[in-house]
Amino acid sequence: MTYGGDEVSALVVDIGTSTTRAGYAGDDTPRTVFSTTYGYTEQVVQDPNSGAEGKQAKLHVGDHVAEWRPGMHTANPMREGLIHDFTAIPSIISHAIIHNMQCNPPDHPILVTEPPWNTAENRKRMAEIIFEEFKAPAFYISNTAVLSSFASGKGTSLVIDVGKGMASVTPISDGFVLRKGMSYSPLPPHVHYTADRILTQPTNNPPNPRPGISLVPHQLIASKRPVEPSRLPMVTLREDRIQQTTDSWRQWALDREVDEWLAACGAIIETGWSDHAASARPPRHYEFPTGYNLLFGSERLIPGEMYFKPPAQANPNLPHAKTLTDLISHTMANVEPDLRPALLGNVVLTGGGTMMQGMSDRINNELQKQFPAQKIRIHAPGNPTERKYAGWLGGSVLASLGTFHQLWISAEEWQEHGNAIVMQRCK
Amino acid sequence: MASASDVRAILSLPANTPGPSQPRKSTATASRKPEGISRELYSLIGDSAPTLVAQYARPKFKPKLDLGKSRARWTWRTFANPGRSDSLKLAHWTKGALDEKDSVSEYAKYNTPSQVYTYSQDDYVKFLQDDEWSKEETDYLFSLAREYDLRFLVMADRYDFPGGRPRNIEDLKSRYYGVCRRLIRNRPWAGDEASKNQVLASYGFDAEQERNRKAYLTGLFDRTPEQIAEEEQLYVEIKRLELNEKRYAKERDDLLRTFAGVESGLPGLQANWDISTGVPIDKKRKKRVEGDMTLDSPIGGPSSSMLPPKRRDIGKQSASDVQHCIVRFDAPLTSVSSKSSTPAHLRSTRIPLPKTHLAPKTTTILAELGVSASRLVMPTRANIERLENLQTAAASLIEMKKNVDRVEQEIRVLQAQSMRASEVPSAVGGTIGGEDEDAARVSAGPSSGGVLKLLDKRARKRSMSMSSNGTSTGTRGNNKRTRRD
Repeated sequence: MTYGGDEVSALVVDIGTSTTRAGYAGDDTPRTVFSTTYGYTEQVVQDPNSGAEGKQAKLHVGDHVAEWRPGMHTANPMREGLIHDFTAIPSIISHAIIHNMQCNPPDHPILVTEPPWNTAENRKRMAEIIFEEFKAPAFYISNTAVLSSFASGKGTSLVIDVGKGMASVTPISDGFVLRKGMSYSPLPPHVHYTADRILTQPTNNPPNPRPGISLVPHQLIASKRPVEPSRLPMVTLREDRIQQTTDSWRQWALDREVDEWLAACGAIIETGWSDHAASARPPRHYEFPTGYNLLFGSERLIPGEMYFKPPAQANPNLPHAKTLTDLISHTMANVEPDLRPALLGNVVLTGGGTMMQGMSDRINNELQKQFPAQKIRIHAPGNPTERKYAGWLGGSVLASLGTFHQLWISAEEWQEHGNAIVMQRCK
Repeated sequence: MASASDVRAILSLPANTPGPSQPRKSTATASRKPEGISRELYSLIGDSAPTLVAQYARPKFKPKLDLGKSRARWTWRTFANPGRSDSLKLAHWTKGALDEKDSVSEYAKYNTPSQVYTYSQDDYVKFLQDDEWSKEETDYLFSLAREYDLRFLVMADRYDFPGGRPRNIEDLKSRYYGVCRRLIRNRPWAGDEASKNQVLASYGFDAEQERNRKAYLTGLFDRTPEQIAEEEQLYVEIKRLELNEKRYAKERDDLLRTFAGVESGLPGLQANWDISTGVPIDKKRKKRVEGDMTLDSPIGGPSSSMLPPKRRDIGKQSASDVQHCIVRFDAPLTSVSSKSSTPAHLRSTRIPLPKTHLAPKTTTILAELGVSASRLVMPTRANIERLENLQTAAASLIEMKKNVDRVEQEIRVLQAQSMRASEVPSAVGGTIGGEDEDAARVSAGPSSGGVLKLLDKRARKRSMSMSSNGTSTGTRGNNKRTRRD
């Protein structure tokens, strides 16, 4: 009674673009975290009745996507932070709950997260899956931004969430999303694209002119020998595998190489871009799976800058994306003036994208520049789990509260009212 | 084998008379050896050392872990929540046996609905008609208010009445509170009029004022860094001026205190003066006050030092004087100058001293009269007044005597001159010269003492400087001597 918790062994499932998190409500870390991108292979199966042959996709959910299989394709059910393709979602949830956590879903109420801009249709599908395929006794769908706010112990906050697919700025008041102030954009793919170009395009910059780096995932490398920095790699590829590698898997693997380089070398200049500050940064050494290794100088700071400045060379294939600065100013312009000081005093950073070095300081500086008279306080947990999985963590907090029991949507209510109850209960 | 007692029994001899050969029965049967004392020690000291026994405590060991008996029993139990309208039974771990009945969630009591006013169709038709708002839209507003527990920020965000005009938060608040006010006014009220007005006031809302306030707030929010810097600068300037003002006021007050004393009418006069030095001791306090002033907020009220000083309430004072048997004297008691106000002091420390150049003679006169000037046994007010009078009298006597001596001397000189003139009638010039000389002498008369004094002083100085050339002990001795003089 002292802390208001009353656990009913609820499960929390948080499906993100990059990873899916699942665990028990009341825990401080998700029990299982795996890649949302799944692999599938096509199998030829024989219908036992008619004997006709048909093709059937076999899913390789979770981290099995990283295992190379001949002819394995990859797919990601998410698009712009929303679940775009529901076909693999039951498999992903069952992989998390049944396979990894060894739980029997009918015994557990399940809380699922959604981005603040989720559609009614998506909610309905999710409720259907949870009630009809998993036979859960109760279900609730809650907002990642609200949950991130709860995870940092705040009811009113400005949640800045930079994930893999989307960057969003969401004002939360008393645990409710203020939809008019919410703003989001598919910014991270632009950052990724810039990083990709930096690596794969040859440069003639004076410190280290180099040819474009050919990125090869370690699954396709048979052997390699150590080389001096900036020397061409001495690597033997697995030609047998290369023949059977699908384009989608290759793209997934290359994206992962870029992401890893970005995570290791990427940084943001706290005070804003200047060539002098960029050249003053120490270079960072990075070795690719091929053994090719290099000192990366100021170029490693370019992708991070994209979060705050529109790119000079945008990818024409990607939709236009507002920068974080624009998102913040848009949000602040669309909330009540009474609420602004409270929001700026409770800025919550979450999502893997905010883990980039210098991000929180830069956001602080940008906010200070935009709102010079305001007191700004940023809540950015130093613990990577808390920062990356704040949405899950907030769900864990919420679903373990004693006062939350009455908010669960039971199977009975779902049978009776259908989707209306979801819209009414999950505000 | 029969024992001695058996033989006795057979011979029907009394059993309780042991023979000398028989060993004495120990008394242990009568009083048992207490626990925790060794047999040898007990046979030595017997019963006579109860304190020893009492003090001894058997060492207590940690009780063994009692497994199985006091084990808490936790059961996985379903429970109902009265806050729910359906029959969903969630389950949780609770202490207690399984056979007990289903429990009820202890969190149900926190499920409190917010108190949103409701109205009927009649109410609406009678009181709540409004050109701006239709009944349907008002209903929608009130349903939103119930749904979001009157969180107007969220209500304004979610407000989406089909076919309605866009409403901002002020519109919503204005309509909601307007409806509430009308309902309160027109419905029968259980309490008295005052409480009704109070409730009405709590539902007051002025949309126009609120809009103005928000406009100001937005203006404040949209300030550029330059404007903020300017504001900051102005604020610092104001603060500086204020501080200056305060400092001037304080200095003025200090001066007034110094010159006018009590008459200045400024408070805190006596408390701030040190008796021994006569110097204000509130420097530390002053510093602290200044420190506080630099720290306090821009909107803080004027500090107490800025308030005009209060005049003493004389009537009140005299009343309290009578009550506490305090006698006040108008005139200063002693010769101490009334330029500065006098702190509380012992009267004996302020025994009047004679003027320095007359001191030795005054003392001699007083000594002749048998009065010790330096030590007054009973320095009452009257005595000191008398002593002072006496000293003044003595001083004037000395002064008078001096004048008399001088005049007599002059007379004698003049007589001698007139005698000489009558004997030898001299030339006119000589007479004139003589007269001049006399006139000069006469005119120099009163000042001659001054010259002498000067000379005297010079001589003393010289002696002092000479002695200061010597050893330090000599100087000290000399100083002492001069002081004694």
